[in-house]
Amino acid sequence: TIRPQTYSNVADNSGARESMRIRVPGASNRQYASIGDMIVAVVREAVPNMPPKGSEVVRAVIARTRKGLNRDNGMAIRFDDNAAVAIDREGNPKGTRVFGPVARESRECHFAKTVSSAPEVLRGIRRNRMMLR
Amino acid sequence: MRLEKCWFCSSTIYPGHGMMYVRNDAKIFRFCRSKCHKNFKMKRNPRKVKWTKIYRKLHGKELPQDTTFELERKRNRPERYDRNVVEDTVKAMKKISETRVEREAQTLANRMRGKKTQQRREDLAELQQGIHLVKAPTALLEEPSLTLPKEKMKVKVSVEQESKAMES
Repeated sequence: TIRPQTYSNVADNSGARESMRIRVPGASNRQYASIGDMIVAVVREAVPNMPPKGSEVVRAVIARTRKGLNRDNGMAIRFDDNAAVAIDREGNPKGTRVFGPVARESRECHFAKTVSSAPEVLRGIRRNRMMLR
Repeated sequence: MRLEKCWFCSSTIYPGHGMMYVRNDAKIFRFCRSKCHKNFKMKRNPRKVKWTKIYRKLHGKELPQDTTFELERKRNRPERYDRNVVEDTVKAMKKISETRVEREAQTLANRMRGKKTQQRREDLAELQQGIHLVKAPTALLEEPSLTLPKEKMKVKVSVEQESKAMES
């Protein structure tokens, strides 16, 4: 569960490194955001010389949470960190690559479509993305 | 649906049980219960934790390697459904688990061989040393019926000495 003020890693190469959640758009006082929810966040730490600067407001989809998800088949999934992927207002990702495993539930906002057509697939220790079924 | 093995203790994880932890390098760890998960979080090595299957196999407490285990290998390619294949597989599964149980019982028997006699010897020694806790030593002398069980001892007697004794 991502609450307001929660820091999460940014799991793509959009240029932001860490973001802090401000709101969940579309609900007046929604406290918790989980995997698959879109959030409004402010960039707290960014890669130097790249578009998102610190204190720029971005939208993101939550890709991983430590709290995890409970699947319908009874399996509970937990991740290692809280991570989000920066997107624009339409739902297309801002970066080209996604890092780390990603839960299938983060399919809101056309996330799945655009991520699976990501041009670069990085294999090796830092995996591009893995859709966990 | 697939029955997974717990990463820590190697028990089967049935649907509805357990937890899956995904590390950022995309390695998946499945746990059958929070006990195993907590041990994992404590960074314990399952090879050193006594109640896990890995430890037992490593230390020879259980059947380590057997063809029956290899038959249970994980297959990633889905098989086209064939009724005959399914029937044979079910029969085979039964037979395999029966043989495995037999072999495991055999390994246990092998491991415990000689345990009974050893236990008996140890008990006897304990009796002889600690009989004063049960009965006063003088009571044993007064009542001839109270005796400690005798241990059957194998005594080596050289034949030559015996014959010499008989002659003289």
